[in-house]
Formats: sequence, C-alpha cells, structure tokens
Amino acid sequence: MALTTTPEQTRRPPRPVRATRRGSGPGAGREGLAGYVFLSPWLVGLLGITAIPMLLSLYLSFTNYDVLTPWPEVEWVGLANYRRMFTADPAYWHAVRVTVTFALVAVPLKLATALGVALLLNRTWRGVGLFRGLFYLPSLLGGSVALAIVWRSMFNADGAVNSFLAFFGIQGQPWVNDPDWALETLMVLAIWQFGAPMVIFLAGLKQVPTELYEAAAVDGAGPFRQFLSVTLPMLSPVIFFNLVLETIHGFQGFTAAFVLSNGTGGPVDSTLMYTLKLYISGFTDLEMGYASAMAWVFLVAIGLITAVFFSTGRFWVHYSDGSDS
Amino acid sequence: MYAATPVPAGPPAADHHRTARPGRRLANLLAATLVAVPLLFGAAACGGEDASDDPNAPVKISIFWWGGDARAKLTEDALALYTKKHPNVTFEKTWQANQGYFDKLATLTAGGNPPDIFQIDDNFLAEYAARNATLDLTSYQQSGKVDTSRFPESLWKYGVVDGKLAGLAAGENTQGLVYNKTLLTKHGLPEPTTGMSWEQHIAWAAQVSAKAGMPGTQDPSADYKAFWVWLRQQGKDLYRDKALGFAAEDVTAWFELWKGARDRKATPTPDVIHEGNVTDVTKQLVVTGKAATSWVWANQLPELKKNTKDELGVVAYPGDPSAQWARASMYYSVFKGSKHRDAAVDVINFLVNDPEAAQVLGTDRGLPSNLDLRKQVAESATDPAMKLSMQVEEDLASTFGAAPQVPLKGHSTLKSELTKAAEAVQFGRATPAEAARQLVAACTAAIA
Repeated sequence: MALTTTPEQTRRPPRPVRATRRGSGPGAGREGLAGYVFLSPWLVGLLGITAIPMLLSLYLSFTNYDVLTPWPEVEWVGLANYRRMFTADPAYWHAVRVTVTFALVAVPLKLATALGVALLLNRTWRGVGLFRGLFYLPSLLGGSVALAIVWRSMFNADGAVNSFLAFFGIQGQPWVNDPDWALETLMVLAIWQFGAPMVIFLAGLKQVPTELYEAAAVDGAGPFRQFLSVTLPMLSPVIFFNLVLETIHGFQGFTAAFVLSNGTGGPVDSTLMYTLKLYISGFTDLEMGYASAMAWVFLVAIGLITAVFFSTGRFWVHYSDGSDS
Repeated sequence: MYAATPVPAGPPAADHHRTARPGRRLANLLAATLVAVPLLFGAAACGGEDASDDPNAPVKISIFWWGGDARAKLTEDALALYTKKHPNVTFEKTWQANQGYFDKLATLTAGGNPPDIFQIDDNFLAEYAARNATLDLTSYQQSGKVDTSRFPESLWKYGVVDGKLAGLAAGENTQGLVYNKTLLTKHGLPEPTTGMSWEQHIAWAAQVSAKAGMPGTQDPSADYKAFWVWLRQQGKDLYRDKALGFAAEDVTAWFELWKGARDRKATPTPDVIHEGNVTDVTKQLVVTGKAATSWVWANQLPELKKNTKDELGVVAYPGDPSAQWARASMYYSVFKGSKHRDAAVDVINFLVNDPEAAQVLGTDRGLPSNLDLRKQVAESATDPAMKLSMQVEEDLASTFGAAPQVPLKGHSTLKSELTKAAEAVQFGRATPAEAARQLVAACTAAIA
C-alpha cells in the first residue's frame, strides 16, 4: 500500500539493541547520545515551540482563559467552549461555511491551473525556463502581506481591475467591498499563486517515461487519450501530494483575508475565514480559551480530511514501483 | 553510512550497562524540560515589588504606545526631557501602528512581560482594569503624586473603572463631524451647524448629494461613537452598570433612520460606506472625496487636513450637543505588576502636568488634560487646523454633558457586531429589526 514504509525510509538513530548486536559496546552508546545531541536543536524546537504550547492550548480550551488573567486564576469550564462553538455561536458556523466554500472552489481550480500550465511548460522551446520562473514568481511572494495590500488596491472600486474592465466598456464591481464578491476575490488571489504545485507537477511530468507515450501512440492514442491513460495515472502520486498539501493550505488561509478585510472578516462577514474568526476571538475579544477550543476542532477536522484522502487514495493513486497493490 | 564511520574501539564491556541508558536519559531530559519550561514562564509572570528604596538608583522604565512617526518623535522628546530632570531614569521605548497594538499588548501581558507604562483607550481600559492588569492610581491621586486638580472633573473620572482610577487621561477629545468646506462654498451650499437635528442633517446631506454630486454624508450606522451620541440623546446609553443601556428597538430605529438617508441618496453606496468603515483616519471619505462629511473625533482634524487640499470644517454630531462629553482620547496606565510603580507613576504625571512636556507633546494625543496647560498650548499653536480643532472643542466644552461610564469588557465585540449588523442592513442581507435582534443577542452574550 501507499503507506508501506521500508527500513530505508525510516532510518532511526541506532538503538542500544542494535548497537549491542553489532557488538560495539560503549562506543555505540556514545554515538546514540551524540545523535540526540545533534538532534537537540530540532528537539528543543519541537518541544518548546510546538509540542508544549499545543498541549497547553489543549488545556486552555477547557478554560475561560482571557489572556490578561494570570494563570493560577484561570477557571476550568469543562466542555463549555466546545458546547458554545457547536450550539450557541452562529458566527462560528458561518466561518466554517466560508472556509469550506473557499477550499472547495479555490483548491481544485488552483490545482487545475497548476497542472494546465505545467503541461504547457513541459516542452522544450526556447525561453521555457523564463516562463517557468515567471509563473512561479507569485508563489515566492507566498502569503505575504504586501501582496494582499496590492490585491486590495487592485480590486477596489476605483482600482486597476475596474479601470481595465472599463477600457472594454464593462462596468466593474466594488469587489473587495462587496459581500457578494469579496470571497471570490480571495479565491482568485489563491488560484493565482499556483506556482508551487506547478513546479511539483513539472517535476512529476519529467518522470513519466517517454516509452509509455510511444507505446500509446503506436496503439493509436491521440494526445487527449494519452493524457487520460498515461499522464494522469503516472502523475497520480504527485496529484495526491499536491491535493493534500493545498487542501490543508486552503483551509488555513489567513493573511489575505486578514489584510483585505482589515482584520474584520467583512463586509458582512463574507471573508470570515476560520483562522480569522479564531484570531479575532483570541486577540480582539480576548477569549483565548474559546479560540484554543476552535484551534483544536480545526486540527481534528483537517486531520480527518487528510485521513479521508489517504483512505481513498488507494483507489486512484498509482505507484509505478509496484507498491500500490 | 554507518560503515563509513568506524566505531571507536573503546574499553571493553566494563561499563556496558551505560549503553542501555540513552533512552532513559532522554526521558529524563524530556521530563525536566516539561517541568522547567512552565517554571520559567511562571517565574517571569510573578515579581512586582519595587526594586529599591533609593530614589536615585538607576531605573529603566519600559513604555509602549501606538501612533505614527510624529507621535514617536514628540514622545521621545518629552521622555528625554524627563531623563534630563531625573538622570537616573531611562526609558525603553516601543511603539507601533494602532493596528495590532492591542494584540501585542495582550500578548506581552499574557507572557508576564508587559511594559511598565502603556497607552490604552476606552475600548480596552475596562478589559484591563477588570482583570487587574492596571495599577489603581487612586492612592497616588490622594497623595498628590498624580495631580488631577487642573483636569476637568468628567475627564479624569472617565478613567475610573469599578471605583479604581485605572488610567490617567493623556488628552481630551470629543465627537466631531468634519465636512468639506471648499466643496460647499463652491456649490453655494450652507455649512452644517452644531445643534442641527438628525433629520435636518440628513436633509442637508441629501441636498449636498443632489447639488454637488458628492454624497453628503458618510452613513454612520456602523459607527459606535455616533450611535452612542444618538442613544444618549434618546435618554439611553451604550452601557448601564453591567448591562447594555439600549434595547433592540433602539437599534432598529437607528438603522431605519439611516436606511431613510440612503433611500434619499444622502449617503454613498454600501460598498463605499464599508470602505469608510474599515479605513483609518488618513483615508476617511471626507479626504478621499467620496463623501462631504465624515464622523470622527474632533482632534483628528489636523491629521485629516494633511491628506486633502480642501478646507475642512468641524461641528458637533447632530442633535443636542450635551450628549457629547469630555472623552479621554487615550490614557496612560501603569502595569500593576511593574517593578518600578512609583517611578512610572511619576513619569505619567510628568507627561500630563509638566508645562515643558505639554509644550512638546502639543495636541497630538488630544487637547492637554490639564486646563492651564491647554491654555498655554492653545496660545502658542500655529497650525490652523490644530487651532480650529481646539477652538471647536473649547466651544463644545461649555455644553458637554456628564461622562458615561467607561465601556464594559466585551466592548470590542459590540463594535464589530454593530459594524456587521449595520452592513448587513446596508447590503440588504437583513432587515433593521432582524439585524438589531442579532446585535443585541451577540452583545449581551459578550458582556456577560
């Protein structure tokens, strides 16, 4: 199966058992210790920056922690935060809807665009490297604030996009200031940054053996048939990888929504992404306990979605090394 | 890979048992870390005694404020003045833009490492005071170490939360309706006046829209400070004790008032209204030319003037001006756990009561709280916009009503819910009554 791992893939630091088996005694012990010493920068980071804060936030999600109250006075409230989230906070469910809509539209379109452009660039014409660079450029800017600010001014009522449309006699929209269009504007921004999955698709396309295409051509397959029967199956592990990554990324979208709405999720909560709602609860409303609960539900939800991908992956992801049986 | 690194042939199995230990050592290390890290945080969170009894011992006071470059320059100059008079006191200054300031302050406080002195406003004062993050200045006030004798009474009282003086007013301001004078003159339109009713204001704005081709007024239905003034004129308030001071019907009436104004084309379209709701002072509709009036604080006039070539005027919000009050534009508060409480209190007293400091700081944080110094600053003011805003506020001061109570904790939710509800009505997503009901429900939950 896809997840089957071989010893080579998960080489662990030598265990005492193995060391003993090799009969090298204390030397190997020291080597093991050295391993941990070399590992320590990462280990300290994992514990100090990830693991311990995460556990603390799990604890906080059962309290009424409000940031300003000193720790000893924080009250345990049991499941109250979770109950409130699921039963008494309409804005929470609204944020869930906004986020799911965003991910359902933006992720497939982004992947399709990335694959389409990768197919175009997977040829050898002169200057193709330049185009690859150009298409990748927006992704380098990533989740940057500057980019979102530019986007906001471009999609203003009197921004560049409307001036461009007016040139063709099309009456523009107030885009980011209109609750009907604000989320769509965010989606376009996300789709535009298709460079990272595109590069991965390109690498995947290079791996497809040319003899498969030759064989298919001999069998009379046209370009479309070749794409369906050779490219897509051969590319499926890469598609799978990109799908998982981009879905997680899509659910976590924050910066653009934050900047475009000045941190409010407006107009009329149309860009209130889950992470933005979480941030507002934690830092503006100072309900950090509630925000922690939201974060944990979010973590579990993303975990479940990823698990669904992995469990369905066996039906459509093909690994050419034969381990997909 | 392993083959490439020859295993040193150490002494034989003499200390063989050690080879089995790294795992356990690691476990011990993890356990130690788990214990030590919270301890470290805990240690950082406590502590708060005054470091020394010696008044001349060197002291470093951290101070944090929001604002632009101009404010930073003025504040640094004023603090340098303090250091000149008290050479043992130096400052660790941090400042940033308003957006994100309170996130940072909350995070610093949570980390047990807040600044000794911080700037705060009435949106957050009660949040911090109710959680005992601010030092109660009452005893200092009684002993004269904090001098409020020359403050308007309602101004210093606007820093009292639950009977404790939680912040010292750094300046005074009040609601101001700023209008584009140049535009009105050009089209031969009358200027708005203090004391106009709300209906008169809307009729005037509709007239401006029709004649000047620019929407007469920003729609302030999402603006808590306009809503607040209007409520006070109806005999209500934003808060009463620990509850909301208004009911859903009041919100409905407020939303319907402005729905009428939009129907009469007195205001911009909803997307432009939204733009005005979310932008900072430099891009208010009155300076970007998208509306003839904006709803701001009177002391923001000089800042607005910097962003437009047009002449601007300022009057009180419509209705009875006694609904407005001498509001502390912002406060200086001292962190309760500060190690240098007494020194920090002396610094904030200096910033508001020292003549030289007042001269340096000018009206950047609002009119000086100390009335003697306000007079002194007014006499030496040269910027016409600053002179005008001081003049208007002086005129209004004679009609100011009593200050309301400082907003309750949960006020930030009220502000964002009001914006959401008002915009839902503007974009036709909800009727005034529906939006009002949701607003009251959400706010009641937030302040509980």
